[in-house]
Amino acid sequence: MKNKINSEREIETSEEAKKLVIARIDAQVPSNLRLSIGSFGGMSKEEMIEHVEKGDEMGRQIIKSHLRFLHAQSTGKITRALISAE
Amino acid sequence: MKKGMIITMPRYDDVTEYFSQFSKEVIKEAEKELLPVKALVDKEATKSSFEKVANSLQYSLVVMNGHGNSKEIFGQDKEAIISEGVNEQLLVGRITYARACEAAASLGKLIISINNEGCFIGYELPFQFYADITWAGNPMKDNTAKLFLEPSNAVPISLIKGKTAAEANENSKRAILKNMNKILRNADKDSLAVAEALWNNYEGQVVIGNGEALL
Repeated sequence: MKNKINSEREIETSEEAKKLVIARIDAQVPSNLRLSIGSFGGMSKEEMIEHVEKGDEMGRQIIKSHLRFLHAQSTGKITRALISAE
Repeated sequence: MKKGMIITMPRYDDVTEYFSQFSKEVIKEAEKELLPVKALVDKEATKSSFEKVANSLQYSLVVMNGHGNSKEIFGQDKEAIISEGVNEQLLVGRITYARACEAAASLGKLIISINNEGCFIGYELPFQFYADITWAGNPMKDNTAKLFLEPSNAVPISLIKGKTAAEANENSKRAILKNMNKILRNADKDSLAVAEALWNNYEGQVVIGNGEALL
């Protein structure tokens, strides 16, 4: 279990993950939107990128969220869910 | 327990302002159904007020807006209203919807372990939403925030309309997926970002306890 947590943490803070997520945020988040995650309210795209670059707790949350989505996309989970709601 | 709703609506930052504004829709539905409502708004959303109300009104539905963590739900000015090991018994036997991040991860499970006749609908992941700064002064006109907060409202609104906890959860999750479909079809610049945050809430939203619970 400890090994699983450590390897998840390594993925979240890896430079590749950071670069990927920063590129996604840069491309996908317009300047007029603000993201609230839990107690962190109203992050602009620039603030999101800063957190990811720093690799702090919020940065890791953002990365985790992106990776979860990508994983769900790649396994078809999202497509199946969206079809079920039609 | 008797039919009725206690709802906390702290208002001290952007997130709580949005939650509280959108909660007015929940109160409207309750009033339409003639369901008694006790709202704790702004400075009323404190631990002492909540404890007094929860002890004196045996209302079956509790809706808690605000920030939180896996063991606590906060009220006004980030004061903990419900904390594990302090006063979680106030939610035992009731249907609780916590629009507060991660409270299902630990607090919800503890409440249900004490008595599983009630249930706890909440989030195992931090609740996410995008807001458009254009509408910061009038959250109800923010169509981006609506994509997140209307499906979230579907939980208490479905319960108010007589659905079970499991049905309310299902209605809410279906509404999240419908909004994902809608924005992905639009293919706007922000579609993927919004879809990703909606998916987070879809995956994170859980019912713990008695899914057949009714108001």
